[in-house]
Amino acid sequence: MSESTSRGAAAKAHAEADVAGAAFHTRIDTALGDGKLRQALSMTTGRLATGRATAFAALPYAEALRVAAQRIRAHTIAHLDRYLVEFTTNAERAGCRIHWAETAADAARMVVEIARASGVSLAVKSKSMLSEEIELNSALESAGIRVVETDLGEFVVQLAGDRPSHIIAPIVHRRREDVAALFREKLGATDEEVATIPAMTAFARKTLRDQFVGAGMGVSGVNLAVADTGSLCLVTNEGNGRLTTTLPRVHVALLGLERLVPTSADLSVVLQLLARSATGQAMPVYTNVLTGPRRRGSAADAGGGEPDGPDQLHIVIVDNGRTRLLGSELAEILYCVRCGACLNVCPVYRQIGGHAYGGVYPGPVGSVVMPGLEGLGAWSELPQASSLCGACRDVCPVRIDLPRLLLKLRAQAVRQSLGPAWLRLGMRIFAAVATRPAVYRHVGNLVGRIGAAVAPDGWLTRLPGPLAAWTQSRDFPAPAAKSFTQSWRPKRGAERTRR
Amino acid sequence: MTNSRDRVLGAVRDALLRAELPHSSADRPFYAVPPEATGAEDPIEQFAQALVALAGEVHHAHSLATISDTIIGIARASGASSYLSWNEDAIECAGLVDTLTSRGLHRMAYDLPFDQHGRDERIRVLAQVGIGVTGADAALADSGAIVLASGPGRGRLASLLPPVHIAVVKRDRIFPSLPALLVARPDLVGAGSNLVAIAGPSRTADIEMTLTHGVHGPKHVHVILIP
Ligand code: SF4
Repeated sequence: MSESTSRGAAAKAHAEADVAGAAFHTRIDTALGDGKLRQALSMTTGRLATGRATAFAALPYAEALRVAAQRIRAHTIAHLDRYLVEFTTNAERAGCRIHWAETAADAARMVVEIARASGVSLAVKSKSMLSEEIELNSALESAGIRVVETDLGEFVVQLAGDRPSHIIAPIVHRRREDVAALFREKLGATDEEVATIPAMTAFARKTLRDQFVGAGMGVSGVNLAVADTGSLCLVTNEGNGRLTTTLPRVHVALLGLERLVPTSADLSVVLQLLARSATGQAMPVYTNVLTGPRRRGSAADAGGGEPDGPDQLHIVIVDNGRTRLLGSELAEILYCVRCGACLNVCPVYRQIGGHAYGGVYPGPVGSVVMPGLEGLGAWSELPQASSLCGACRDVCPVRIDLPRLLLKLRAQAVRQSLGPAWLRLGMRIFAAVATRPAVYRHVGNLVGRIGAAVAPDGWLTRLPGPLAAWTQSRDFPAPAAKSFTQSWRPKRGAERTRR
Repeated sequence: MTNSRDRVLGAVRDALLRAELPHSSADRPFYAVPPEATGAEDPIEQFAQALVALAGEVHHAHSLATISDTIIGIARASGASSYLSWNEDAIECAGLVDTLTSRGLHRMAYDLPFDQHGRDERIRVLAQVGIGVTGADAALADSGAIVLASGPGRGRLASLLPPVHIAVVKRDRIFPSLPALLVARPDLVGAGSNLVAIAGPSRTADIEMTLTHGVHGPKHVHVILIP
């Protein structure tokens, strides 16, 4: 196995950053214990969230746009079969080749086959969460094809054998010294080349330019595809998305099958919101719309074709659990355009960061998407990692009701008996007590008296048995000495007399 | 035997029978650009301010002479002796190439060959060029972006590969916003293999949220506004 053959294995070896193998609460503890991580998280998410709020305040008709964007996505998803057919027909007419992948493994295999067919030995990639999802890098490398991440953050992630921890800011968990050390160690950068952030950026530009110039294939994600023109829209700030889709002679675009809009007017509505939600920019630096590969001149217009662009454009349309999501009560999550805004405002994400979630997609969106794509089995704890405060719903550009979906998942977990046995037993006892008024009153009085006896100051600092987890990092308010009914009775009596 | 296309589409259709989708019943169209949002007082000024805020630079020129003066000035400042560009008629500035040549700035042959080896060689050469010159199909007042459609004589690399990009833009092509543009010019999407909106110089904030320009695309973007 070469050094970077399997990103997964390399990541495991990277003990500091990768704790995905550990239990969720252990990952949370690790994250919470990492002061530098929490400082970086609070700075980055705070800035992104403020940027978003400022950008929306300056946007006229922001709410009308959000409602429009939500309707566009809802309508598209409700007629997804029709728009997929329309999109692929038009993309093929423009000269694209379409590949349909049912699973992650199918998708990765298809990209490898495309690369082999064109004799590609080096591929450049612009940031794509879907490529993380299908573990494309390890598939390409196992086939002997070198692949280089070109988004600056992703490039650092790849050098470190790490995983991205934020949809938009992949190295929110790393400081400049970490990046400098990596560039020195892995790429032989001089002290001068890593002295400042601009110097490191210039060094990355130089290093990656060589890769771009030599690459036979570019792999990208797709932000949104336009059905009525067969176009792909990709946004980036760095310009690596444009280089990836222009310089190599083969371009492969990975498209999640839900990421469509009907028309370019619809696209422009969503684009009004996407960058503002992600980073607070009115527009990303590059909004790149691709319709087919480079156009060759015909004999009729005397060789007047386009001077550059890829000779081939392949679109790999990926299901990998999306139809499972679509056919469920969680289908609304498919409106998502992966802007990352819900991460930046989530009180849980802001404390624990992306790695603690353990999946490709972190934060509120990830807590729905991961169990939605793969089933609750391995992900049953994620929907609990939310205070249900609704901040995510309030910032979502397509107004997804994330708390509603998280509650659905919690209910599913209970139905599938995925919670701990003691909790299920406890809930059953509670149900038995709470549905019998006389018993409830009796038990209530008893609990109140016990509470008053063990916690005279009103707080329980240590709960027994499995409940101890609650008091590990916070105190529990003791039950009131007098129950609500006990306090209510005399008051109501008094009111009646007054009247 | 069914193929993967039929299987995926079949799975989508099956899923749609069970999907729980709120808000999906609305009729089209969903959004029209509100008339109040379409006209800024002074779109040229709004565009210029937005671009400058993004660290782009705005110049005004009225004739072939002042356009080429501006380009030569930028080329001298960046030490470039050659440039990559769209065809003269695509920039809509007759005589530009000759004028620049006479002042010592040379246009590089551009079109990429179709064979792999020739293509790689050409890209290696083009990657050394210091400035790129293009026209633009539109500019957007609300964001400071310029919009470029690819086509014959209108390559993508001129606005992408060199560290300095100069775009010559007609003032009357400034639209209020991207939705306003796409309502007025729906033909732009798909006119060529690439339509790009460029809002200022390439940037990143990946390392500690520190804004840095020119990570992959041009570090400097100049827009020359002409009548
Ligand atoms: S759920 Fe909404 S806020 Fe979160 S990433 Fe998706 S679109 Fe953005």
